Amino acid sequence: MPDITPDTLNLTPDVLIIGGGPAGMSVAIECARAGLVVTLVEQRPRLGGAIFRQPVNGVAPLALAAGPERLKARLFKDFAAQVARIHCVYGALFAGLDADGLAIVEDRQTSRVLPFRPRALVLATGAVEAVLPRPGWTLPGVTTAGGLQVLMKETGRAPQGRVVLAGSGPLLLALAAQLIRLGRPPLAVLEAGDPIRRPGASLALLAHPSLVSEAASYLATIALARVPWHRGAQFERIDPCDQALIVTWRDHKGHLASLAADHVSLHDGLAPNNFGLPAEARGGVKSSAGNPLVIRVGDCREALGAAAAVAGGEATGRNLAAHLLTGGEVIAAEATLARHRSAQHHIARAFAPRRGQELATQLPDDTVICRCEGRTLADLKKLVAESPGLSARELKLNGRFAMGACQGRFCASNAARLLGELSHSADQVPVSALTGQRWPLRPVSIAALAAAVADAPQPGSSTKDDKDIR
Amino acid sequence: MTPATFRWMSQDVPFRPGETIAAALSAAGVVSYGRDQAGAPSRYFCGVGACQCCLVNVDGRPIEACLTLARPGLSVTPLELDHA
Repeated sequence: MPDITPDTLNLTPDVLIIGGGPAGMSVAIECARAGLVVTLVEQRPRLGGAIFRQPVNGVAPLALAAGPERLKARLFKDFAAQVARIHCVYGALFAGLDADGLAIVEDRQTSRVLPFRPRALVLATGAVEAVLPRPGWTLPGVTTAGGLQVLMKETGRAPQGRVVLAGSGPLLLALAAQLIRLGRPPLAVLEAGDPIRRPGASLALLAHPSLVSEAASYLATIALARVPWHRGAQFERIDPCDQALIVTWRDHKGHLASLAADHVSLHDGLAPNNFGLPAEARGGVKSSAGNPLVIRVGDCREALGAAAAVAGGEATGRNLAAHLLTGGEVIAAEATLARHRSAQHHIARAFAPRRGQELATQLPDDTVICRCEGRTLADLKKLVAESPGLSARELKLNGRFAMGACQGRFCASNAARLLGELSHSADQVPVSALTGQRWPLRPVSIAALAAAVADAPQPGSSTKDDKDIR
Repeated sequence: MTPATFRWMSQDVPFRPGETIAAALSAAGVVSYGRDQAGAPSRYFCGVGACQCCLVNVDGRPIEACLTLARPGLSVTPLELDHA
């Protein structure tokens, strides 16, 4: 993909897209085709997102299963056809939408803050992995499964040493197969669920042949390499020991087992990476004076995977273009997503954990729940005991859960679930009560921000009176 | 040709053009990034700029190792030097 480095940058594009994964790329393609002025902001140096993370120069891309490989080829071909009409800003991060309707982007390449005033702001920030807390999950050598996978996609290399994969879901199988192909089979895959013992859910997946063939190819690779896939495994803890990590779990019969490894990769599902993002416009959408129309697409709207991100991105991109050009209503691409939603539902059922999932009783009190602020299960229990009826907001403001640098991306859902369990509440504690909307989303230098806002385009500026900054 | 390197503690870490600091550290076998200001161990974790576990100081500024391209001669240090 050629890098686009325009010497001037239009701060008032029709459409500003945050995130260069499959959803963001698909919206960009459709809006560019319709003739709109499109700017795409990507935090990394290249497009593709996590799922289609590109290797560094000179490294062969890691092979994907046939379905994703076709999707990737089509996406990049379509993008290449429109690339001259899409401004890509790489190495830049979205800091938030300010009260005045400016979309603030931090350009780390130039250490500047870019104040965009687009007509529409499309958020395509993808997914984050859910990782359940266990003793030792914060240790060096422990990553998310997706984290290890994108590193392998980027470098073409597997990590040095012994690897154990643990948690739940098909991503563990995909990663195991990729490790095997790079010559470093994992010691074991510890799976909390047991899809083979849930034939109903597994059979329902037959309606999605591309997913079935993808799963079959991973399972065949894993079986050939004789990598044990321990189903019904209740993952207990990781202990550091002489430069190694001792992984302990209970097998499906309840017996304790352990392995020594150098790397442990955890994964318990995917969730939308929508933390602190500005709210999406709803219903018959019109942007209020000066404020852009806000739309979410792909996994940050609903974590349904790459095929859904492309389908939803394309449909949303076409709707958005029609709205901006002729004033039609923007309709979320619900119909295109129903099939993907049903597939994800069956996958979740097939991989549902076999054992009781009361976290609060499974975990020792010193388990870290919120890494950024070092808050443990004991801290959470103490808060709940001291103030019965503790709200999620109090848990955050008084207890500092989900308060730290990751903004609750990795602890808010676990903290909300534990709060529900400990207060014996029948209602689920909403994760959003712990995260909420924030501005800025990331730390931004005050000086750079002040300079940018002084330069910012005023409401009503259009792409015709280009305000260029150099 | 010798590969370009950046400085991590007392080590020269080689990298390929286009590689992030995290990718180069992983290839060099560096798993621990020291500790952060709260005392938690820093390390590569999510790989997508979300978890803030891989923050390191680059030219005196805390930044995600998984998002930041390695550059020749860069000085990369743990957030808290005392705990490294």
